[in-house]
Amino acid sequence: MNLAVNLGGIKMKNPVATASGTFGFGLEYQPYIDLQRLGAIIVKGTTPSPRAGNPPPRIAETPSGMLNAIGLQNPGVDRVVEEILPRLAGLGTPVIVNIAGDTVEDYALVARKLDGAPGVVGLEVNISCPNVKKGGIQFGSDPRSAAEVTRAVKAATGLPVIVKLSPNVTDIVAMAEAVAEAGADALSMINTLLGMAIDVDRRRPVLGNVTGGLSGPAVRPVAVRAVWQVYRAVSLPILGMGGIMTARDALEFILAGATAVAVGTANFVNPRATVEVVEGIEQYMRENGFTDINELTGLAQRNVAGC
Amino acid sequence: MSQLVRTRITSREEPAPGFCLIEFYAPSLARAAQPGQFVHIRCGEGSDPLLRRPISIHAVNRRDGLVRILFQVVGRGTALLARSGEGMIDVMGPLGRGFSRGQACRNCNNSSGNAPAGTGNTGDIIVVGGGIGVAPLHFLLQEIAGSGESGRTTVLLGARSAGQLLIREAVEKMGFVVHVATDDGTAGHHGPVTGLLANALRRHPGFVYACGPAPMLKTVCALLAEAGVPGEVSVEERMACGVGACLSCACRVRDAGGRETYRRACVDGPVFPAGEVVW
Ligand SMILES: Cc1cc2nc3c(=O)[nH]c(=O)nc-3n(C[C@H](O)[C@H](O)[C@H](O)COP(=O)(O)OP(=O)(O)OC[C@H]3O[C@@H](n4cnc5c(N)ncnc54)[C@H](O)[C@@H]3O)c2cc1C
Ligand SMILES: Cc1cc2nc3c(=O)[nH]c(=O)nc-3n(C[C@H](O)[C@H](O)[C@H](O)COP(=O)(O)O)c2cc1C
Ligand code: FES
Repeated sequence: MNLAVNLGGIKMKNPVATASGTFGFGLEYQPYIDLQRLGAIIVKGTTPSPRAGNPPPRIAETPSGMLNAIGLQNPGVDRVVEEILPRLAGLGTPVIVNIAGDTVEDYALVARKLDGAPGVVGLEVNISCPNVKKGGIQFGSDPRSAAEVTRAVKAATGLPVIVKLSPNVTDIVAMAEAVAEAGADALSMINTLLGMAIDVDRRRPVLGNVTGGLSGPAVRPVAVRAVWQVYRAVSLPILGMGGIMTARDALEFILAGATAVAVGTANFVNPRATVEVVEGIEQYMRENGFTDINELTGLAQRNVAGC
Repeated sequence: MSQLVRTRITSREEPAPGFCLIEFYAPSLARAAQPGQFVHIRCGEGSDPLLRRPISIHAVNRRDGLVRILFQVVGRGTALLARSGEGMIDVMGPLGRGFSRGQACRNCNNSSGNAPAGTGNTGDIIVVGGGIGVAPLHFLLQEIAGSGESGRTTVLLGARSAGQLLIREAVEKMGFVVHVATDDGTAGHHGPVTGLLANALRRHPGFVYACGPAPMLKTVCALLAEAGVPGEVSVEERMACGVGACLSCACRVRDAGGRETYRRACVDGPVFPAGEVVW
């Protein structure tokens, strides 16, 4: 049975990755799973200089989901390259670094510094973080800026570049087309949905940052729809994510058109979720007579009349 | 090392209305657990409520492989845990950095030089808990008693009223001197437990351990700074992963250079040196 996939030049032994920001810098889950079982580890958003992050409370639980406003807390690209990536390099699992910034130059700078870093097989460009004042989301909601960031990152690195799209747009297909045109090697979707919660007893917003990003099972239908629409319009491979808790959830994304998937919030609930998704996909393939995971990508599209 | 276990609940009690004591079987967790550490518990099978709940380890019985947690029912998750008819529990742990016993002992020992000079500290230990904050202190006191230090340890317990002084009897049975305070005056000092602490600090103790609601801990930290007495506090922050991966549980601290930064309460804490926490 073949589980291996190629995500825009990134070779993964199976289609299951960890979603950025939910899996730290990779080693935190080592007591619970064998990290070598993962298709790829996508680490926390990395910026040119260190970021302290937002004031607490940073999360709020919502129906079948959660809001987060971490604020891209990270030690900065230099420490990531010098201290953190070397520790991951020995794992034997490909590492994808998620990058972010305030300006196009920021993105290019981080990309350049990561080029050639040990163990890094690709970059995921976060143009969709809803939790920082400048940057992030502004690039994620305007096709022209998104294309500009994509071009700058492509010029700064020889690594495959995945651009991570935001669901907080009217037309996600237009965004996907713009970054594809600008040279992205793959697309990932979705980042969190902008949301907020109010503490009725204290009569004020729950989060220190007021608004935050919604993730978890609550967002899954939105994410599956995004993958479905983009798959039809753009030929780039897609890394699908948003509320994947089980193998069946992951298969929804793959059948909609995702080449690979990422597991995020589920790690908090079940630290073995990633590995269980890999095992569940294998079992599904065995039970349903599939020998290659790639046969499943977009299969639901072909089962719809008129597609 | 922390682990994920789905295991049998061996008993469930209601020590006072609105509180729940659960005991479960987890031998290796019991063996590894240190006072101040917590477990991260799933409240149900489904996706709502979604996140695990962090609850301190209240007691361990290493011989029989049993772990106890004591919690207050405050919302949906704790309500589900308290009444789930199910006989199984899904826990991750032990997690976090607990109370540093070695550190405390060094501080208690005048010759070590760790205690601030000129405090004339007596080497005594004070353990102060407010409300449900007493839950992890019970485990700490078990260990203190086990190392024969109950004689030089004073325990201060605060609660809303007499009926909620949850661990008083158990701690007295371990041989500790206990002073209590209640908000409504139904037992002991009428007022916050920090009033008792202010008095106790005049006898220059060597080290103070505290857990309780944030306003109480803020006062504890201020009192300790004023008295020049070292100590540790266990803080509560909202948590998602519980293992250091998501950065949800940021606690504002002052680092060695005096700069303010965030630390993760789940792995760098939940116990922090009293002087480090920025309130
Ligand atoms: C390290 C640590 C140890 C703890 N130990 C104990 C203990 O031994 N006994 C006990 O009764 N309580 C303890 N708490 C508090 C306990 O975690 C909360 O009371 C519980 O999460 C509330 O869940 P809920 O669903 O009933 O409340 P809800 O208010 O419905 O919970 C909603 C969300 O907010 C979070 N939350 C609510 N209150 C708190 C809080 N005070 N601290 C952290 N997160 C919170 C919940 O985890 C959940 O994600 C501890 C907290 C921490 C961080
Ligand atoms: C706590 C938290 C932190 C996150 N941090 C980042 C980040 O730094 N960069 C990024 O691109 N996405 C970040 N995300 C978004 C996730 O990678 C993912 O796109 C989203 O959560 C949807 O997937 P899920 O429902 O499986 O979590 C974060 C999500 C969470 C919950
Ligand atoms: S709860 Fe995730 S880092 Fe502490």
